[in-house]
Parts: sequence; structure tokens; C-alpha cells
Amino acid sequence: MTTLPPPSIAESLNIAAHAVSASKIYVTGDSEVHALDGVDVSFEKGKFTAIMGPSGSGKSTLMHCVAGLDSLTTGSVFISDIDLSLLNDKQLTELRREKVGFIFQAFNLIPTLSAEENILLPLSLGRRKGDTAWIDRVIDTISLRDRLNHRPSELSGGQQQRVAIARALASQPDIIFADEPTGNLDSKTGSEVLTFMRQAVTDLGQTIVMVTHDAVAASYADRIVFLADGKIAGEMFAPTAQKVLDYLKHLGE
Amino acid sequence: MFRLAIKMTVARTGRLILTSLAVILGTAFLSGTFVFRDTINQTFDRLFADVFRDVNAYVRSTTFLELDFGGEQRAATPVSVLNTVRGVEGVTSATGDIQAFARVIGKDGKPLGSEGNGPPTFGSIASADSVGLWSVSEGRLPIGPTELILDQATATNGKFVVGDTVRVVAVRGSREFTMVGIANYGDVSSPGGATFALFDQPTASEFLLQPGFVDAILVEGDDSVSDEQLAERIDAALAADLKLETLTGAEITAEVQGQIKNVLSIFSTFLIVFSYIALGIGSFVIYNVFSITAAQRMRENALLRAIGASRRQVSRVLLIESTAMGVVGSLIGFGVGILLSQLLSALLKATGFAVPSRGLAISMSAFVNTFVAGVLVTILAAWLPARRAGRVPPLAALRDTALDTAGNLTRRIIIGLAIMALGGVSLAAGMRDAPIQVLGLGVLGVFTGILVLGPAIARPVALTLGIPIAKLRGPSGVMARQNAARNPKRTSRTAAPVLLGVALVTAFTALAASIRSEIRDTFGDAFSGDIALTVDARGFGGIPLSITDQIADLDGVAQVTGVGFTSVRLSDPNEPPALAQAGAGQRGVFVQTINPATITGLFDLGVTEGDLTSLGKDGIFVAADRATEKGWGIGTRLQVTRIDGAVIDAEIRGFVSGETSFANYVASREMFADTPSPIFDAFVYIKVAEGSAVDEVQARVAAITSDAGIGTLLSKEQFIDEQAAQINQILALIYGMLALSIIIAIVGIVITLLLSVFERRREIGLLRAVGMSKSQVRTTVRWESVITSLLGAVSGVVLGVVMGFVVVTTLDDEGDIAFKVPINETLSIVLIAFVLGVIAAIYPAWRATRVNIVEAIATT
Ligand SMILES: Nc1ncnc2c1ncn2[C@@H]1O[C@H](COP(=O)(O)OP(=O)(O)OP(=O)(O)O)[C@@H](O)[C@H]1O
Ligand SMILES: [Mg+2]
Repeated sequence: MTTLPPPSIAESLNIAAHAVSASKIYVTGDSEVHALDGVDVSFEKGKFTAIMGPSGSGKSTLMHCVAGLDSLTTGSVFISDIDLSLLNDKQLTELRREKVGFIFQAFNLIPTLSAEENILLPLSLGRRKGDTAWIDRVIDTISLRDRLNHRPSELSGGQQQRVAIARALASQPDIIFADEPTGNLDSKTGSEVLTFMRQAVTDLGQTIVMVTHDAVAASYADRIVFLADGKIAGEMFAPTAQKVLDYLKHLGE
Repeated sequence: MFRLAIKMTVARTGRLILTSLAVILGTAFLSGTFVFRDTINQTFDRLFADVFRDVNAYVRSTTFLELDFGGEQRAATPVSVLNTVRGVEGVTSATGDIQAFARVIGKDGKPLGSEGNGPPTFGSIASADSVGLWSVSEGRLPIGPTELILDQATATNGKFVVGDTVRVVAVRGSREFTMVGIANYGDVSSPGGATFALFDQPTASEFLLQPGFVDAILVEGDDSVSDEQLAERIDAALAADLKLETLTGAEITAEVQGQIKNVLSIFSTFLIVFSYIALGIGSFVIYNVFSITAAQRMRENALLRAIGASRRQVSRVLLIESTAMGVVGSLIGFGVGILLSQLLSALLKATGFAVPSRGLAISMSAFVNTFVAGVLVTILAAWLPARRAGRVPPLAALRDTALDTAGNLTRRIIIGLAIMALGGVSLAAGMRDAPIQVLGLGVLGVFTGILVLGPAIARPVALTLGIPIAKLRGPSGVMARQNAARNPKRTSRTAAPVLLGVALVTAFTALAASIRSEIRDTFGDAFSGDIALTVDARGFGGIPLSITDQIADLDGVAQVTGVGFTSVRLSDPNEPPALAQAGAGQRGVFVQTINPATITGLFDLGVTEGDLTSLGKDGIFVAADRATEKGWGIGTRLQVTRIDGAVIDAEIRGFVSGETSFANYVASREMFADTPSPIFDAFVYIKVAEGSAVDEVQARVAAITSDAGIGTLLSKEQFIDEQAAQINQILALIYGMLALSIIIAIVGIVITLLLSVFERRREIGLLRAVGMSKSQVRTTVRWESVITSLLGAVSGVVLGVVMGFVVVTTLDDEGDIAFKVPINETLSIVLIAFVLGVIAAIYPAWRATRVNIVEAIATT
């Protein structure tokens, strides 16, 4: 059980995305919520990072801000070397289309499009064809080739999540964000999806950041970043489910 | 439950207003036309009350003809009666009144006021008596045969000042006068935008009517007796054989007010019918809105059911909400309608009918009518969706998305086709001999059928229409196509107003195109001259016969003939006497007056039997089908009563086909030669002599007509075109209807899109997250809108062409009306639908780009 200070940028040049003193304050009525409170964090290329923490600790907020879906109150976020705060809506859109992939907990797919159209969506939005060989390989890996023409409503929850992962991979983004991707799945389907994500990192060299509550899910990651009250509370490398549970107990959840 | 309903309604104020939009629109048209009608009526009521303020009695002939559209034409009164009236005890002054055709020619040589459309042009009497309807505001009264004065508005519009020479055309021809003054009518410069040329009584009688006659006599009393007593005294003094009557000032005021109301009521009834149609189409939008919101709230309703609410309670929540919407919408709609009525007045002013403004008239009945209609329609439109909402199974609370299935498609198609077929059959029957209700039922059946069928065809048609869009617009186009097809019920209901409007317009345009080509053929055959002079003022004024005669004397003119119209009363002595008592007005019929000596060889009236030259003073030709219907034959004697009361014992001497005569009866102008109510020509046909150039002759004719400032010269081709174009007036009404359904359709599409955008905000958020740009989001919404609108237009065109075909083929017994599909009009309709789709999408598309990504994907 080791707790390291957050790595500085200089420490590793192999960074896919990082946040510097990231703060996000929600003002509702006359009360302020510090969803993020000076977070410094970086995500290494070719690694599978999990973010854990109690409910309301700011995990989703951090992910949305790093992914360019939401903006920080203060601080900055970088994807590769791009400072997101300097981008306008159009540039942010293109960034999400080309450099970032998403997997959400549910409602990941457009119901009117087939599985294949959903997978190719970010590419076709940018009027790109993408790397056909790579896409073929992705589709083979999720082993849904016979379901490509099906609508999401005709797919099971696990299959839908696999399609979502394939979509996130199809454009070979710099980084993929997943917010509780297995939250809605039973443990067997969940582990299928997690294995596949692990594969995408190990075999295909992708970078994935995943928010999760599940110690087992987190154990698929290379590294875990713990959040509490909008602050980084710790970090763990090469986690196992048991180690994670112990740590969380220690953290007082 | 009631409190829950109110709470739920208030919690959605935004959506409430949005969905009320359809109610607002429908009721605004209604209240707008009501307020407009009331305002105009009030204006004229006050105007005439003012004008007749000093009139205590009114003497006029008892002989008159009722004309179509609520007008009447009354026999003239001899001027000698003036002295009789002046001699009656209690009369301080009496003066003649004339209201006859006279057209003031502007300084540019063109007549003031537009010919045929626009307010009428009058000639009248200006008198020193205070009882006269006109008061001089500048200069002095006209005296003698060379002086006139003009009403203030005409003088201003024509830039005439006192001392100018003014040319006027009236029944005696075209003359020049010196303008010596300017007059006001009551306290307005001109009533309703009409133009007035005013003369002293002898000049007016001679120039406008017949020497020695006026239309009526205005009397002022000394107030020693009541108006009723005064009228009785005058009546007693009048010789019985003159057939005159005396009205009190109040009676004539009420009558004139009633007459103008009658004329206006045709216009306003028409507007009000339109408004009810608008509300009807609007109810579709309301129904659609309730269906969508009910579907979107299915989970919420299912939850209510799951925790113990009964079906009726769930339905009631929706009904209470719809009532609230109906009340709010109708109230706002009434207010918007008041603004709309102002717009109508402005529109009327722009076309030349300046209605003097005397303040708004907002009546209780206008409010109650609008309010009740609005609330009722809303509740009715909400009925079905509310019942459906009650039937939602509690389990649906656990399901995901709102389902909108089109149900059993095969059943739908069968039922829809069956209703349509029934409608088609009664449509065809209605076109033949069945009563008009059958025709209405037929149209209703066809439309109901298509609406039942709608959801079944919406998906395949929308998908087909979307193919090129998906090809051209990439992923946004693909999404638009899929979105348009994903809720077939919703899409077809949204497209319904477009469909209704387009189908009606296409059917009528097709019908009109066919009839038009028929008219062209008929007139092309009938008219063998080279030039036609027409005036678009049938029934009131026209081309003085003296001008026709002048043209005949021109160099290079081989043959000239004039054709006019007048009204007479016609009675068949063999039929039981008419119900109307002697002296009372009776419905007149139009008679076409011709010159039998000159018409043959120039214009073919379609004589099927007899010889026009046999007409003489007492002959008459009748349209063959009318004669058959009445059982008349050659030699049948009919009594013709002219407007001046003279009765002519006429004989039927022949028949016409009725296709090229403009009336069912034809008589020689000789029959009317000695009447004090003069006749005019409406058409003058001219044949150019051999060896003379048509354009040279036309120039010579033009010199005469422009000197007279009257009529339009047309070549043969133009004349035929003009006859064919008459059908366009009917089309104008139909296009008005199209415009109305377009406005409603736009609002309907806007509301539906907004609700869809709201419903799909998670999807939009997701799309934005994976890289859809704002402009791509807009594109998606826009093309969905275009596909929906095109769906309505295309199916409307198909339906309209089919209906038009049914109508034309059933109408056409002899098979000589060729059915024509109006290609240009159809293309324009589709183009309009396209633009409509783009416009309707502007706001919803903008709203779609405002979807907050993080909130959208966070929504559970
Ligand atoms: N739009 C918002 N307005 C106000 N407060 C917000 C908003 N979004 C999030 N918060 C607050 O910010 C804090 C962090 O929220 P966040 O969604 O990041 O938590 P989380 O760690 O993802 O929790 P969970 O594990 O439950 O998903 C919470 O206290 C939440 O109440
Ligand atoms: Mg979260």
C-alpha cells in the first residue's frame, strides 16, 4: 500500500492528459459546492487508470472536465499538449471527435443507428473513413460481427457496452474516458467488458481512464487514483481487488 | 388529484405556453375576424347615423330589384316630386339624391381608383340644403352644366385644386368640368375609399341618370311634428300612380346600415369560415401536442398508476391540464386576435378600401365565441390522448423510453383504404346529382382515410424522401432521416396540416387548369374579331353606349358590337304568381344585352335555335338547359319587368348554348332604349377591316378609350386569356387557405420539433460528446423538419391529383375537359414545403444546440 504524491509533468513525458490545480465550484442558491478542489493529476499513455472515491467525491466532474465536456472554474486541463481552456466550441468538438473516446454507464448508443453506424459515428461526423484494418480488428475483438446491422434495442446490455467501447476505439483516440461502464451490468458481463478494455490497452496500446465504484473492476487497471471531497486522496499501482478494499476501508468509506 | 394536476401543470409553465401556441393561433384568427367585423360594422353605423342626421324623411320609388350579394337597384323618382314635397306642411327643405356611376379621370389620363376591383366610383348631387349628404369644405357649390366639386380624398389623391379642369366619364359619355370646390361626407373625407364627383341637381340628372329624374329625395322637417307624422303627410301628398314611398330618417339610416352590413357580412362570413377551418386544422396540432406529451410522460403516469392512481385519475390530470391550456391559450389568442384585426384593417387600406377609423369594437359575443370554441376544441383534442394515458400499464414505469408504435399496420392500412374508398365513392356521387352534403362527406371521408393511413405510410415515405438527404448530408442527414421515421404517428400528425392544405390546393388547381383550357377553347372559337375592349365593372357602370358607337365610326374598323348586362325581373305567366306582393322587390336575373344588328360574325353566342336579328324590342333568347328545366319552348311568353317598373310582354325566340353568353338570358339593347336607368356595354368586340393594320386601328380605338378614361384594350389572345383567368379568382381563395394551413403547419412543426428535441436531449448530448458539432446538430434538426414537411406536401399532391382527377372526370359528361396536372403549381408547392421545413426548424435547431452535454448525459 503506497501513496505517492501526484506526478509532476516533468516526471513523465509520456502523458496523454493532465490537470493542473483543477477546481470546479458549483453555485446553487447561496451555497457553493467544491466538486473539485485543486486537483493535480496526469494520465499516462498506454495505461489503464481507474478513478475511485466515495459518491459525490468529484469523479465524474473530474472526468468531464478532463475530457472537455465541461469547463473548470480555475486551473487547466491538457490533452497531449493542448490547453483545453484555449479552445472554442468548434475546436473542442473536433478534439472530442478525434482525440477523445467516451463510454458512459448507459444510453451510450444512438437508438436510430445500427451497431456499425454507432461504431463509425465519430469518424463519419468528421467525414473520415478511419483506419479500416484497425476498425476490422476492433470489431473482431468485440466479436459482434454478426450483430453489426442490429439496432441497440436489439442488443443486450453487455453487447451495447461492447459496441460503445468499439466506438471509443474506432477513431484511435489519444485517450478514452469511461464513467462506470460496468455499473449496469451483471458481474459476468461486466468482467467480459473489463477484459476487453484491458485488452484494448495491453494489445492495442490504447489509453483508458475509468471511473468505478467496484474494487474488482478497478483491479483490471494499472493504477488507481483515489478522490475524496474533490481532492486527490491517494494512488495505487498494480491493484488487486483485496488491496483496493483494504485501502477503501482505511480511507473510511 | 385536482391539486396534483394543478401542481403538475404549473411545474411545466414553459411547456404549457408552448403547447398553448396552437390554441392561441387557432383562436387568434377567430377573434381577429370577429373584432374586425364588429369594428367595421360600428364604423359604418356611426358614419351613416352622422350622414343622415338632418334627414327627417326619405322619398323613393317602391319598385326595385334585389341583386345578388345583397344589393338592390331601385327605379328613379321624377324631379317634379320635389315641388310636391316642398309644399307639404312641416317640410323646410327637400333635395334630390343620386348615387350613380361616374369615374373621375386623373391628371395623367388614367381613371382614379382601380377598375373592377377596389371601391366603387360615384357621381352624386351637391346641394345647398343642410339635408344634403355633402358639406362643402373649400370653394363653393357647383352651379350649371360645367361645374363640379370632388370629395376631399379624391381631390387629394388626384392632386386637384379649385379651378382645375376635371374630366369625368358617366353614362352620357366623357365630359370636362371646372372644379369649384371640395366636399366632405359627414365628417369623413370619403366613405370607404369610394370616389365622388358632385354636380348640381339638373346636371347630375342629365349626366348621370336621365334628365328629370333623381334616385330619391331627402327631406328636412321643421320639427313641428314627429318624423313618422311627417312621412305620413308626405305620403298623402304623393300621387299614387308614381309608386313612391316615404321613409323616416331613422328608417333609411337603419336600412343603409343594414345594407352595408349585408355586403360586409359576405366578406366577414367568409373570413370567419376560414377561421373555423384554421381552428380545425389547429386542433390537429393540439391533438398532436397532447399525444406527444402524453407519450413522454408515460413513465410518470405509470408511476402514478403503480402507486395506486386509477385510470380515470390519470386521465383527469391530463384533461385538467388541457383545460388550463385551452383557457390560457384562448385568452391570449383573443388578445392576439385584436392585433390581427388591426392588421386586417391595414391590409384593407393597402388595397384601397380606406375604412374610416372609429375605434375598436370588442363585443362580448366575439369574446364568448372565441373563448368557448378555443376551450372546447382543446378539450376535445386532448380527449383521446388523455384516455390513452389512463390505459398505460403500471409496468411501463420500469421500461425505458416512450414507445410510439403505429399499432397494427395491416389493420390500419385496410381501415384507412376502406374509409378512403367510401369517401371517393360519395365524392363521385356528390359530383353528379347527390346533394351537396354527400360531396362534403366524400371529402371528409377521403381525408379521414388518409389520416388513418398516415402512420402506416409515414415511415416508408419519410425514409424514401430521406435517401438523397442522407447521401448529401452525411451522418447528420442519416440521423435526420431516421428521426423523421422513428415516430411514424407523430410525423404523420405533424405533416397533416401540410397535407390537408396541399391536397385541397392541388385538387382545385388541377380542376382550374382543366376548366381554364376548356374556356380557352370555347372563347377561341366564339370570338372572331381582332380587338376586345373590356371593362371590369359588371352590374355597375361600364362602357357608355356612345363610346361603342364612336368606335364603329373609326377608319379601318369593319365591325363593332357591344355586349352588356342588366338586371330584370322575369316571371312566367303560366306559373302561379310569385309570393312577393306587388311593389315589393324581387330577385332579379341578369340579362345579356346585345346589338343583334352587329353581333353576327363577330362573336358567336352559341345560338342553337332561332335568329338573333329576330329579337327586336320584345324578344328574348334563353340558355337551352334553363329552358328545358323550366319547360319553355319557342314562342313561350315571359313577363320582363325592367328596373323602372315597365313590364314587357316578351317572347322566347331562340336558344343559346350558354357557354359563351355570360348570362342565361339574351335580349336586344333595344328593349332598354327608353329606360331612365341606363345600360352600359361590358365588352366591345372589334373586327379590323381587311387591309388595315390591327395595331394602327387599336391605336385609334385607344385614343377614344383613353380620352374617356375607361376600359382595357385587349388583343384576341389577351381576351381569351382574360376569360380563362377568371377562374383564378376562385383559386385566390384556395391559395388563401393554403397560406393559412402553412402558418398553422409551421407552428405545428415547430412545436413538435421542440418537444422532440426535449425528448432526445440525452441523445443530442451523447452526439455532442462524441464529436457532433453545433452546425451538424442544426443540420439534423433542419432536415428532419424538411422531410416531415415534404412528407405532407408529397402525399398531399398525390391525394390532390387523384381527387382532382375524380372531380374532373365525373363533372365532365361529354369527355371534352381534358384532365391536366398543374406541373408548375405542384412544383412550387413542393418548393414551398421545403422552405417551410427549413423555416420551422430554425428555432428548434437553435434549442438543440443549447443542450448542455454534461447535464444531458447525467440525466437518468
Ligand atoms: N450541476 C451541478 N450543480 C451543483 N452541484 C453539482 C452538479 N454536478 C455535481 N454537483 C456536485 O458536485 C459534487 C461532485 O459530483 P460528481 O458527480 O462529480 O460525483 P461522483 O464522484 O461522480 O459521484 P457518484 O459516485 O455518485 O457518481 C457532488 O457533491 C455533486 O452534488
Ligand atoms: Mg459519477
